[in-house]
Amino acid sequence: MAVTSDYVLPCGRDVEEVWEAIDLSDEHTRSCPHCAAVRESLLVLRAATDELVREEVEPPFDLVSRVMAAVRADARRSDVVPLPGDGLARISTRAVAAVLRYAADGVDGVRARACRVTEALESTVSDPVIEVELTIAITADLVTHQAYDEVRRRVLAAASARIGVRLARLDLVVADVLEG
Amino acid sequence: MYRLALRIVGSRGDAEDAVQDVFLTAWRRLGQLNDDGAFLGWLYRTTTNQCLNVLRKRKPHADTELDEQESAAPRTRPERAVEVNAQLDALQAALRGLTPEQRACWVLREVHGRSYDEIAEAIGTTQQSVRGRLARARAQLAEVMAPWR
Repeated sequence: MAVTSDYVLPCGRDVEEVWEAIDLSDEHTRSCPHCAAVRESLLVLRAATDELVREEVEPPFDLVSRVMAAVRADARRSDVVPLPGDGLARISTRAVAAVLRYAADGVDGVRARACRVTEALESTVSDPVIEVELTIAITADLVTHQAYDEVRRRVLAAASARIGVRLARLDLVVADVLEG
Repeated sequence: MYRLALRIVGSRGDAEDAVQDVFLTAWRRLGQLNDDGAFLGWLYRTTTNQCLNVLRKRKPHADTELDEQESAAPRTRPERAVEVNAQLDALQAALRGLTPEQRACWVLREVHGRSYDEIAEAIGTTQQSVRGRLARARAQLAEVMAPWR
């Protein structure tokens, strides 16, 4: 098949025009040998592409565990806050933030965004305390006045029930109001 | 994402590394990835960029290695005609002949069904440029597939 470098056929049409009309098969395409040849090639390409789409390609079985290992290693490298106990157990602030954001997301019309977790000044080995600044976006139509209290309640509950640390101060910052 | 990466970079090892990096970045940016709708777009964009970066860093002579790795992919449906396999192999070989950007455009469009808009955003270019790259990719691929008419 003679396709010129800029893909214009001798009849004046280009390959893309033939592609766009591939299922129409108009008078020109039927009678023009150049267009007919290109159309045939494109049909082969389309069939091969369908095969490519159908081809099952499974990622290696250990890819998920490798990703999770990388995430855990990353969490270990980042900032940590102490957990209650002997003072040896620590938890990544990212992990704390993930749990707290998830708790806030459970409230209708509320979407958690940034979550900054720091160890509070009054924190001690026997009684670790954290401070949190949680930025949220709200959907105006869905959010009621009780929603903020609900976010506060759920985040505090998640901190104590799911992580086991005392949350001394929770700053809620509404950073964005979304259209319903 | 693994399939997308594999089609763009052409080797399993690089595809695995790219996917791992993408999800690690996603974990680090959890707080900035705000809504679910945008997250998928972010994944496509980040995976595509990661793959293009891998290809840019790769030395040109690495191409021979690609051929060996890709043809090692198992063909799992023995009842399929040999010719279909041959066409698929030819298509994959032809894909390797495209530029990385053309290949990314084509794979995102034809294999993953993304819109021109999404592809333009993923590659960091205009819709018009995506259309141009797709047209060139399609014409080149059709040319390679011509013997099977």
